[in-house]
Amino acid sequence: MFGLNLIPPLVRTAMSMLIIGGLVGYVGTAFTTTLVADSGILTGAGEPTVAHKYLIAMLQRQSESLSQLSPSSDVVSRALAQQNISQQRQDVKPLTVTYLGGASSGRISVAIYAVELQAEDGQYQFGSFAITIVGGRVLRVE
Amino acid sequence: MNSARAALILATFLGGLVVGVVVYAVTDKSADANPYASLPPAGEPAVTAEVARAVSNNDSKGLANDMDMEVLQQLKTAIEPLVDIRSIKFLGAVEKNGRVLAAYVAGGRTSDGTDILRGFVLRVAGGQIVGVN
Repeated sequence: MFGLNLIPPLVRTAMSMLIIGGLVGYVGTAFTTTLVADSGILTGAGEPTVAHKYLIAMLQRQSESLSQLSPSSDVVSRALAQQNISQQRQDVKPLTVTYLGGASSGRISVAIYAVELQAEDGQYQFGSFAITIVGGRVLRVE
Repeated sequence: MNSARAALILATFLGGLVVGVVVYAVTDKSADANPYASLPPAGEPAVTAEVARAVSNNDSKGLANDMDMEVLQQLKTAIEPLVDIRSIKFLGAVEKNGRVLAAYVAGGRTSDGTDILRGFVLRVAGGQIVGVN
């Protein structure tokens, strides 16, 4: 079938091993990175991916992404959160987003960012966000 | 001959493994780069370092000297519900137009004995702490 019989057995085996190795490498890496990101392990070593994604989603008003990264909540709370995001000023543009640092203890991680915002009317804001993550989900943003 | 065959198979498997890891690293979109520019890091301002030292030393007098009542109230809100601060760590700072944001994380216990972390940012202008986020 498909002319596989024409390929020498050794080459066939080697090709199979290459494909199996590739799959194991891909799936294993995906599994490990997801597990590490969700558990909060190693978050003290660098910027937590969850915090980064959450902040960018918040600045770009992606309510779906925000609800995915937040703790499970009821439908009314999710609707309130979406309404809150849609009522925020639409004309505010982020100029810079700087990760200041973070720390973790057990399942709790904190990541802090400095953000420069510019409104269309020229109003400028230089502020910060402290994002608290518990078990791979954003628990609090201040 | 058999050992050479086994070595070849093992080598192709390991080669595939490496290719799989590389393909994942290249195609993974989870670690998105920052779509915005970043500010260069600044050093820890002396005035915020003093506050951090006062907090970690449980020095209420020093804290009262370093900050006015409004800013102290903001700091209190920022570190709630911590009642027993055991560590305080400077994370980083940035400066823009003479205004500095200095980030800290405080670790300690709540009134019910739970260990938690609280992050807060001290805003500095003109060498004074003007606010706490």
